[in-house]
Amino acid sequence: MSLEDYRRDIEGCSRCSSCKWVPYNQIKSWRFSKNCPSIYRHNFHTYSGSGRMVIGLSLMEGRAELDETVAEMIFRCQLCGACDSACKTYRDDIDISEVLLELRSYCVESGELLVEHMAVIDSLKREGNSLGELKTARGDWARGLDVKDVNSETCDVLFHAGCRYSYDPDARETVRGDIQLLRSAGLDIGVAGVEEACCGGRAYELGYRGEASNYADDVLNRVKSSGAGTLVTACSDCYSHFQYIYPKIGKELPVEVLHVSQVMDRLIDNGRLDFKHELPLSVTYHDPCHLGRKGEPFTGVWTGDKLDRPMSLKRSGRKGIYDAPRNLLYAMPGVELVEMERIREYAWCCGAGGGVLEAFPDFSASTTVERIEEALATGAEALVTACPWCLRVFKDAVDQTSADLEVYDLADLALISAGVAQPASV
Amino acid sequence: MISDEAYKELEEAVGVDNVSRHPAVLDSYAFQPFENHESMPWCPRPVAVALPSTTQEVSEVIKACNRHNLKHKAFSTGWGLWCGPTTDDVVQIDLRRMNRIVEIDEKNMFAVIEPYVCGAQLQAEAMKVGLNTHIIGAGPNCSPLASATSMHGVGHDSIYMSYSARNVLGLEWVMPTGEVTRLGAPGSGKGWFCGDGPGPSLRGTMRGYTGALGGMGVFTRVALKLYNWPGPPEIESTGTVVDVMSEVPDCLRIFGCFFPDKDRLADAYYDIGEAEIGYNCLKVATPAFMMILAPHLFKKLKGTENLRRLLGGTLGQMFLIILAGISREDLDHQVDVLKAIVDEHLGFVLDAKNIPTLGSNLAMNFIRATMPALVFRIGGSFSTALGRNDSLDTQLAWGEAIAEIKRGYAKKEMIIDDMGDNPYFVPYENNTWAHCEVVYPYDHRSEKHLAGSSAINMDFIINAIESCMEPMFGVVPSARKVLSPLTSNFNRWQRKLSEALDPDQTSDKGFYTDEAEFDFTNVPPERVERLQKLVEDLTWTELGPPE
Ligand SMILES: Cc1cc2nc3c(=O)[nH]c(=O)nc-3n(C[C@H](O)[C@H](O)[C@@H](O)COP(=O)(O)OP(=O)(O)OC[C@H]3O[C@@H](n4cnc5c(N)ncnc54)[C@H](O)[C@@H]3O)c2cc1C
Ligand code: SF4
Ligand code: SF4
Repeated sequence: MSLEDYRRDIEGCSRCSSCKWVPYNQIKSWRFSKNCPSIYRHNFHTYSGSGRMVIGLSLMEGRAELDETVAEMIFRCQLCGACDSACKTYRDDIDISEVLLELRSYCVESGELLVEHMAVIDSLKREGNSLGELKTARGDWARGLDVKDVNSETCDVLFHAGCRYSYDPDARETVRGDIQLLRSAGLDIGVAGVEEACCGGRAYELGYRGEASNYADDVLNRVKSSGAGTLVTACSDCYSHFQYIYPKIGKELPVEVLHVSQVMDRLIDNGRLDFKHELPLSVTYHDPCHLGRKGEPFTGVWTGDKLDRPMSLKRSGRKGIYDAPRNLLYAMPGVELVEMERIREYAWCCGAGGGVLEAFPDFSASTTVERIEEALATGAEALVTACPWCLRVFKDAVDQTSADLEVYDLADLALISAGVAQPASV
Repeated sequence: MISDEAYKELEEAVGVDNVSRHPAVLDSYAFQPFENHESMPWCPRPVAVALPSTTQEVSEVIKACNRHNLKHKAFSTGWGLWCGPTTDDVVQIDLRRMNRIVEIDEKNMFAVIEPYVCGAQLQAEAMKVGLNTHIIGAGPNCSPLASATSMHGVGHDSIYMSYSARNVLGLEWVMPTGEVTRLGAPGSGKGWFCGDGPGPSLRGTMRGYTGALGGMGVFTRVALKLYNWPGPPEIESTGTVVDVMSEVPDCLRIFGCFFPDKDRLADAYYDIGEAEIGYNCLKVATPAFMMILAPHLFKKLKGTENLRRLLGGTLGQMFLIILAGISREDLDHQVDVLKAIVDEHLGFVLDAKNIPTLGSNLAMNFIRATMPALVFRIGGSFSTALGRNDSLDTQLAWGEAIAEIKRGYAKKEMIIDDMGDNPYFVPYENNTWAHCEVVYPYDHRSEKHLAGSSAINMDFIINAIESCMEPMFGVVPSARKVLSPLTSNFNRWQRKLSEALDPDQTSDKGFYTDEAEFDFTNVPPERVERLQKLVEDLTWTELGPPE
């Protein structure tokens, strides 16, 4: 697909600005009514979902030229998908998220690259991860765990840790705990350790499609050789990429793909996991974009008139994973969930996505702080999320702002409540 | 093009980060597809875009423009062709950074707001203190300030909260010269409680019926009357629009009222007005509901004649009404009155209480006016035969005539068939008058539809004149030029006002008093002739209206 393939979507925009707001029926206050971090920060219409689509039209029509400034306008976007979900409350024929991805690919193909993104891609090529870490250290997180190595054994469930969980010292313990918990529930699990590489989704989002495809091949081959029937990941980013980008680029995984919160939810349902330890804590839950609205599976490319596209094929963001994480919180004795105003498919982004964290750290941080303020407004003691990228930026923002808020990975709370980990470890 | 010197002055006025002349930014402002009947959705590119955050900055931007012979054009949320420049020497003033609710005065029931507060925000905050705001039918994404000061102002709640311009209790205005003035009570520093003073009165100066559409400087603050909200501080709901499910507050009851014909429907409206009941009331075409909620199904079924007869005929003459009571007794009384009125006019009521999911879906969607933009679903765009505000039965008769015209165009596939008259019809102020627009969906990406939409609009205008109605052509100055002679040449008075307040004509008046020639290209010659004949026969002279 190319930008030109989305011309009708772009020309279909009515400029109603719904892509800048929380769906109107869900606006509960003046303070938390906006949904797009980019226009919230930069203010010109250009920085909204609609505005970026118009940049595309302007480029196609030869009215504006792609230059460094335009590329920056395009990349100052978290690819959080809030604009897309909001637009789709009214429209069936506009896929903003697709246009945003095409714009990025257009930039890369035209040689308008951001140095910070090139560094990410360079790290991917050299070390197989997006964080500039050494490939040789990739498997360290799993050292000493009683878990199968899929490089030499087969298993039922392949666990993909992802870059952030593999390397971030604040997150590693979480995936170790995940493995212990899933093993104790009787699952036959394997990990790829040092051989695991990035899922490639970041590369796709940054516009580097060739790299994305190579990494997808790598995962696909591993899944096949592992003999697994299920691929589980704890990372929301990876989850979204497996569910959406892989099938889109023709690399659909021939197995069921689950986020670890879904697995735990199922285990609770069928009585194999029990949260018995009291955790007296009021929490609010942040829906990671990639687990929520961007976690919706790929539904195929619709080549005809999108006004005729069946509703079942419209990715509206509603079919993301919203209930499983909440079910876990409800099931934890002592935990009280207090919702923020912007939740589910209209949740505010954490600020880490779309290459913004790497290229525009100030913008990323301001997006994060906005979410912290929303969490604080609920009066909850803790902010819980289910993605290591969100976790990282939330923790950093809380440290920097000295906000009176704990930040937890959902899995960590599950581990404590299930008795796999001790409260002190979080 | 803007000179470096002028641009620098804009930077000084609003800060370097808040002004741009990059072509890509400018194009994102030149993109104005709604009611743009050209094949590409552009309007002229502004020479620069400025984002002021205070009244003082607005004033400085305007003064800078004036020093450099540039025009200015403001918008609040910017929805529609009328928000963009009409010539190539315009600085677009995007008021997005002026987004504060300055005050909600609970006791005196008003709010002071800036331009980029949207209807949903103001309503959410007002409800917390037991108040509510008028939201125009376009939806809660629009700026209450914009509709109160600059353009139209009709909404589903007009039966209770009237027309936007009626609710203005004070105004801050940066004139086209850059001077700042305050109208109404704030004009004498006495607070924001009365649009007529003490202080300079504002009626007829700030706007007439339609508004100046950006052609008379910039409005930076407005005090709006708020109304009683007997419900909870927040209506609990899940879902977004089509799937929204709300807890219907105990103080509300929702009814669909169906009548055998339009005359009985009109009579019931009059009686409801006399009884002074109703919080929110909209005449809806039943096929329109199906069209916006289930466009795919609608497309499949619309060829079915029996369904057309059922929805457009048997169930065609209906309105939806929400009653709100300040006590159980009050609400019960209103329900009894409504039922008696409907009975008397041989209608029947459908009580949403008996269909809980329907009531639950409609409550929030109507109170917040969230549904209308769903009309975009079926074809990507829509337009409307703007009827003038008039008496209820005149409007209903006109609606029927217009539906006939629409059917012809739908048959030729020059617009999308919506299976009915599809009017947007709301009564005002004890139902002594009403507003009727007949909406028609089309796909603005189709050349055939674009041609259809130009031609059909002319037919609507001609029909309105033939039906002794004043066609509402407020947003199309070229049509106003043709038609103002039929309505007391009011455009001359607009021009005089505009010249007095804007001697150098520095605001972009392309949608106000600058009247281009009407483009008759897509209108069949016999229709042009008919129009010209009507204008000739019905033109006002210096002595008054024609015989
Ligand atoms: C799809 C659609 C449906 C509509 N339906 C209705 C309806 O049901 N009822 C109704 O009353 N209207 C309707 N309108 C018209 C509507 O009144 C206007 O679009 C506007 O008043 C809505 O507010 P806004 O924030 O979108 O204003 P904008 O779109 O920002 O501006 C509207 C006009 O006012 C001018 N303006 C805005 N703010 C200022 C300011 N601060 N100072 C000076 N000039 C300003 C702009 O230049 C523009 O000409 C509809 C419009 C659309 C696009
Ligand atoms: S919500 Fe959709 S149609 Fe409306 S302005 Fe945004 S992109 Fe355009
Ligand atoms: S993806 Fe997110 S940041 Fe980007 S334009 Fe859409 S809402 Fe804004």
